[in-house]
Amino acid sequence: MLGRTAANLFWLSRYVERAENMARLLEVGYRMSLTSRREGGASEHLVSMMQAAEVDEGFDAKHDVADVDTVAHYMMFDPDNPNSVYSCLMAARTNARSVRTAITTDMWESMNGAWLEFSQIKPRDVRGAKLLGLLQWVKQRSHEFRGALLGTILRDDGFSFLQTGNFVERADNTARILDMKYYVLLPRATQVGGDLDIQQWTLILRAASAHRAYRHVYHDRYKAHNIADFLILRPEMPRSLVYCANFVQQNLDSLAKLYGRKEKCQEAADSLLALVEGASMEAIFTDGLHEFLNEFIARNNRVTDALSESYNFY
Amino acid sequence: MGEKTPFDEMYNPDGSVREPYRALSEWLAEQPDKALALMQTDAEAIFRRLGITFAVYGSDEGTEKVIPFDVIPRIIAANEWRRLSKGIEQRVKALNAFLYDIYHRQEILKAGRVPEKLILNNEAFCPQMMGLEPAKGVYAHIIGVDIVRVGPDEFYVLEDNLRTPSGVSYMLEDREAMMLLAPDLFHRSKVAPVETYPENLRRTLESVAPDSVRGTPNIAVLTPGIYNSAYFEHSFLADQMGAQLCEGPDLFVDGGKVYMRTTTGPEQVDVIYRRIDDDYLDPLTFRPDSMLGVPGLFDAYRAGNVTLVNAPGTGIADDKAVYTYVPDIIEFYLGEKALLQNVPTYNCTDDDQRAWVLENIHDLVVKEVHGSGGYGMMVGPTATKAMHAEFRKKIEARPDNYIVQPTLNLSTCPTHISGDVAPRHVDLRPYVLVGDEVRITPGGLTRVALKKGSLVVNSSQGGGTKDTWVLED
Amino acid sequence: MRIEIDHSLTCSLPPGTAQLVMHLLLTPGSGPTQSVDSWSVEVAGIGNAGRFRDGFGNAAHLVNQSRPEGDLAIGVRGVVTTQDTNGVLGKPAGEPVAALYRRVTPLTKAPVTLYGKYRTTKESRLDVLHGLMARVGETLGLPAEPAPEAQMQATGEQVQSQKAEAAPELPPAADFVHLYIGAARALDIPARFVCGYLAPDDEIEGGLHAWAEAYDDGLGWIGFDPRYQLCPTERYVRLAVGLDAESALPLRTVPVGEVTQKARVTAA
Repeated sequence: MLGRTAANLFWLSRYVERAENMARLLEVGYRMSLTSRREGGASEHLVSMMQAAEVDEGFDAKHDVADVDTVAHYMMFDPDNPNSVYSCLMAARTNARSVRTAITTDMWESMNGAWLEFSQIKPRDVRGAKLLGLLQWVKQRSHEFRGALLGTILRDDGFSFLQTGNFVERADNTARILDMKYYVLLPRATQVGGDLDIQQWTLILRAASAHRAYRHVYHDRYKAHNIADFLILRPEMPRSLVYCANFVQQNLDSLAKLYGRKEKCQEAADSLLALVEGASMEAIFTDGLHEFLNEFIARNNRVTDALSESYNFY
Repeated sequence: MGEKTPFDEMYNPDGSVREPYRALSEWLAEQPDKALALMQTDAEAIFRRLGITFAVYGSDEGTEKVIPFDVIPRIIAANEWRRLSKGIEQRVKALNAFLYDIYHRQEILKAGRVPEKLILNNEAFCPQMMGLEPAKGVYAHIIGVDIVRVGPDEFYVLEDNLRTPSGVSYMLEDREAMMLLAPDLFHRSKVAPVETYPENLRRTLESVAPDSVRGTPNIAVLTPGIYNSAYFEHSFLADQMGAQLCEGPDLFVDGGKVYMRTTTGPEQVDVIYRRIDDDYLDPLTFRPDSMLGVPGLFDAYRAGNVTLVNAPGTGIADDKAVYTYVPDIIEFYLGEKALLQNVPTYNCTDDDQRAWVLENIHDLVVKEVHGSGGYGMMVGPTATKAMHAEFRKKIEARPDNYIVQPTLNLSTCPTHISGDVAPRHVDLRPYVLVGDEVRITPGGLTRVALKKGSLVVNSSQGGGTKDTWVLED
Repeated sequence: MRIEIDHSLTCSLPPGTAQLVMHLLLTPGSGPTQSVDSWSVEVAGIGNAGRFRDGFGNAAHLVNQSRPEGDLAIGVRGVVTTQDTNGVLGKPAGEPVAALYRRVTPLTKAPVTLYGKYRTTKESRLDVLHGLMARVGETLGLPAEPAPEAQMQATGEQVQSQKAEAAPELPPAADFVHLYIGAARALDIPARFVCGYLAPDDEIEGGLHAWAEAYDDGLGWIGFDPRYQLCPTERYVRLAVGLDAESALPLRTVPVGEVTQKARVTAA
């Protein structure tokens, strides 16, 4: 397989996942802005959401006011925002187009169909309730693509690159959401959160599609400790850091088996997994949650760099 | 000429149906109202979903169009095809012999059968190719021959495409779509398959691998990238024949050989079906500013370590000015009369002919010698007076830059036009593969001018395509 | 005459060059006017170079380097024994048809004033070719005393000679050759660019040089040096031929860099 093809597959998957995450974050921000009763509260929620998505600086450079319309447009349609759903879908499709021969027709049709439909949408038609519908659509198209991927593609090296891209991106997303809000997760004298805390916790859980699953796992009210544990260390949570790290490590392992050789990227994935596997929340809190998350993000980035180096991405 | 009724491929002048179209005619009569319109909509969706699109030059990046597909097939009888394919085979053999000669001893120039200056001072002539021995002596391996029909037995070759002819993916996908849309029509007819093309392409490419290759040659398709108008075709063909689709940066030379960069290290490439123009193929030999090519590729080719398909410099044989000499070329190398006729072509550098051309320009077709794709072309009968005047001036200024031909009354085929069936003008591009043997796919790509009365079939100018059926005996 | 050549080339590369690919025409062939006694081209990567004949019959090398460090340096050394043939090369085997060299290139265009009078002449081809050489000299300037150093610089565009500081302002040798070739081709006479070495004598400093060859149906190829107004002698060593300076460049590279070169040529 060409090094460029491997790179295209990896990024194709990352961008699909990123589009989905952006839609999820925007949904959370939108919901929270609707429920805010305080003056200026809606705007604060949206800004806080954009911080988690790391698009706040770009937004500030273009807009003075953060309201639902400006934020939704920036997150969904703005080509100047490299992480807007528009930019992600376009990048995903461009990558898919470059590797037409390495993906299945079902994957291509799903990707191409999503892009064609999305590019027909006129931003001014997407307001209010229609916004939620569109966000739902983005998530569904992402699921459809993943379904096509899992259902049709050969389990060869291409599959490993696709899956690695998917979970490297997801790990990055979860880690960033946690890091942006880490202060509301820190242990404190009282375990009972105020309204503001509950709102922030809800944001975090919803952004990871984890608000219902949380109840299944903990049978408990929202607690900072549990939330951090759920998104970092729970192996059954498909967006947790440990789950993603495990997945990346396994995928790269099977790649090493296929190619008959271990490369730098396998070491990087081992090191990523070592950080979260067997860790305890107590130890993480003791050493600093923020420091821990930064280390995770750095090691996760190292996986991408090492991958590019090991398999001749360019 | 424009006044005469064109030859209709389905109906005789008395209204009866020509034999090859009998099954189609019955099938059409059985179709309920709106059936064709529905098929048309389905077809459009199929093509768009599969991503069979082309980019239109000059329009915004990212605007991709689906070439209109007409749901009514164009049908050629077995005996008609036999004649055509013999003529085509003769033509491509002669053109390859011509290429070999002008890049070696240039006997045809010495004999004065083709003017020396026309070749040697032609931009399409590639001096770097001199003395090179291509595998099997073949220069143009993949050829599209544009043919028009004006009567029951009258076919003309409009032009030869020996550089990187495109459109073969449409031929294949049109067939695929037609089988999905009208399976019952296929049951009633014995249609020669076109699906063999990718396999034949692969065989052809393998047959021209360098002699040093042991085992199965490693084949790559070299594309300028996803923004090229024919990118779909490049990926489609690579996929269909199981070759690697590469862009320039995927390839590099080392020790005089060509390699691709793979996840497990360099892998040597033996045959490159390149869809990049000569000028951009190798910045070391051709345009130094090319970002699309592979530095050193041409030298590796000269060193005999890789085969380029088609060879650089084949454009000299499909130059519009050389075209007029093709009948002489056939006679010179094969000692036979040309089986397929050229369109009569006027030479504007001749004073008498030019005078006649300028007087009758409203009846004639003027083509720029180096133009293609319908650009730089004027169709007299449909052009405005202002355009006539403009082209008169152009011809007077540079008579050698234009060729002039009579307006051919292209044959028409029944075509679906918003719910109705109406005759529209068509041409035909059969695809020919030349390697260890000549392989011609039955049929080819039929292009149809969807505008009523229009004679311009190019997709960039509002043309569509049809599935082309060659009936078997 | 036994001639020793020591030719060094350097090429400055853009910083961070990952892949360097070069096309070398630095290997002279033996023929009627010269036989190569020994020759070596030293450059990293020459060991597994692609070796082939180019379209003009020159021995060429395709050499590549990964992540070259610093500037590219090439050292060429060799000994060639020459014979004086009054400039006549004849019709060596293995060359493309002479007619090829009637092709006009952007660099080889001559004004009609230069060759016009020969269009209807009754003179022999040989006389025409000598006449053209004189006309080119009159147009661009005749050699003065002492002759300037003929050191050439290949910039990737064309070969230029650097003038010695005190020498009169004469255009580079390649300009003479291009004008000469252009005029000959305009008269339908095949003519080609020759890149080679010139051994010094009392008047000429020698070094890398360029001259022309034109074709006579009887004699074959004949050398003409319009820069020094003579037919090549035993002091001339042929290195490479082409349609013009560009196609006979001793060194082409991707990425393109600035080439400086110096040839020390010694007649033994």
